[in-house]
Amino acid sequence: MKRLSTVVAFLLISGTIFAQNDLLDLLNEETQPEIEFANATFKSTRIMNGHSIERMPSGQLDFRISHRFGRINSGAYEFFGLDQANIRLGLEYGILDWLMAGIGRGTYEKTIDGFLKFTVLRQSSGARSMPVSVSVLSSAAINSLKWADPDRTNYFSSRLSYVHQVLIAPKIISSISLPLSPSFVHRNLVATELDPNDLWSLGAGGRVKITKRVSFNAEYYYLFNPKTYMGQQVLNPLSVGFDIETGGHVFQLIFTNSIAMIEKGFISETTGSWGKGDIHFGFNISRVFSFKK
Amino acid sequence: MQRQQHVQIKKPPVTGNLINMKHSGFLPAIILVVITICASCYYDNEELLYPSIGKSCETNNITFSTTITAILSNSCLSCHSNTTAATSGNNIRLQNYSDVKARAAAISGAVNHTGTYSPMPKNGGKINPCSIIQFDLWVSNGTPDN
Repeated sequence: MKRLSTVVAFLLISGTIFAQNDLLDLLNEETQPEIEFANATFKSTRIMNGHSIERMPSGQLDFRISHRFGRINSGAYEFFGLDQANIRLGLEYGILDWLMAGIGRGTYEKTIDGFLKFTVLRQSSGARSMPVSVSVLSSAAINSLKWADPDRTNYFSSRLSYVHQVLIAPKIISSISLPLSPSFVHRNLVATELDPNDLWSLGAGGRVKITKRVSFNAEYYYLFNPKTYMGQQVLNPLSVGFDIETGGHVFQLIFTNSIAMIEKGFISETTGSWGKGDIHFGFNISRVFSFKK
Repeated sequence: MQRQQHVQIKKPPVTGNLINMKHSGFLPAIILVVITICASCYYDNEELLYPSIGKSCETNNITFSTTITAILSNSCLSCHSNTTAATSGNNIRLQNYSDVKARAAAISGAVNHTGTYSPMPKNGGKINPCSIIQFDLWVSNGTPDN
């Protein structure tokens, strides 16, 4: 600013009148009030299992490798669950500055999943004050397991399930944020008449920065109408872990009572109990490639 | 059973504060969402869709050649066949009668998740209760090769 003013003054004095308008325009632009957006509320697009409000910037591809191992209480013979590996590979791309899309394939129920995530509001201060960031997530999943009974009339629609979430995340101070995510899960086919096709839940999370590169994250979903899955009571999923940012990668180390890595699985089909030690260790690795010129 | 289709039209997200929103990109995106949401939304459950489930579980004519082979091929052989067992099935083969007979007690323990044996199948809950009942009946019948 100071330098610009000096330049303007110099140009005025030296009588170079044709440049005056351009430079004054530039000055006006510079002095317009600015909107300051809160950035990097989360380090990656996931809090732990569930989505955070973050999305890939346009032109950037996120290659995600996630693992959840077996239950820790399965003992030393199973190497505390590590002999049983569940994997999800995902490709997630920022199409526009407010829209990202992703696809993935997971071991759990041999599921293919896809999602769209919209940024609706961005937390900002300055010229426009907005206390929270809001994103909307719409996802669909296809269970590709062989039919339990190939002889009956099986419908393709029975394989499908949908999840819609509103992700709300106020970043309170620069090191703490407390996101909420009201969620709706729809399953086309459930086992019994008593099981709900529509499942409502409220997710809550937390992120506390410990150092510049490490943060502690936690995530919990409260189910309003839980029922059974495969004859076992469905429990509320709780996950805790750490984000570790290295150059170019984000590692997330996770302890959770859920083995699935997509919303339909961990919200509606978690049967592990923290109290009994049905805890799964796991990690997410996120590697971002930029396709923007 | 009459299948009910519920069409839910979801409103596009509020766009008040979108940055650099281009109209040309916005419309296809809305169409995509509507397709994703409304493609096929059913309210089915297995009890109503397949009335035979839960009412009867065939417990009389249990044979190895039909009943047990069907259960094994649906739920076990993707890892425990003669060709896949070495790589993904911990070398436990469940394709031939003699192998299944030798491991009958272990299979029963694994599918019932009793804790003595490594619970099966991996990556999911138990196999359907009728199959477990049928397998256990076949074991208590003396694992006949019929």
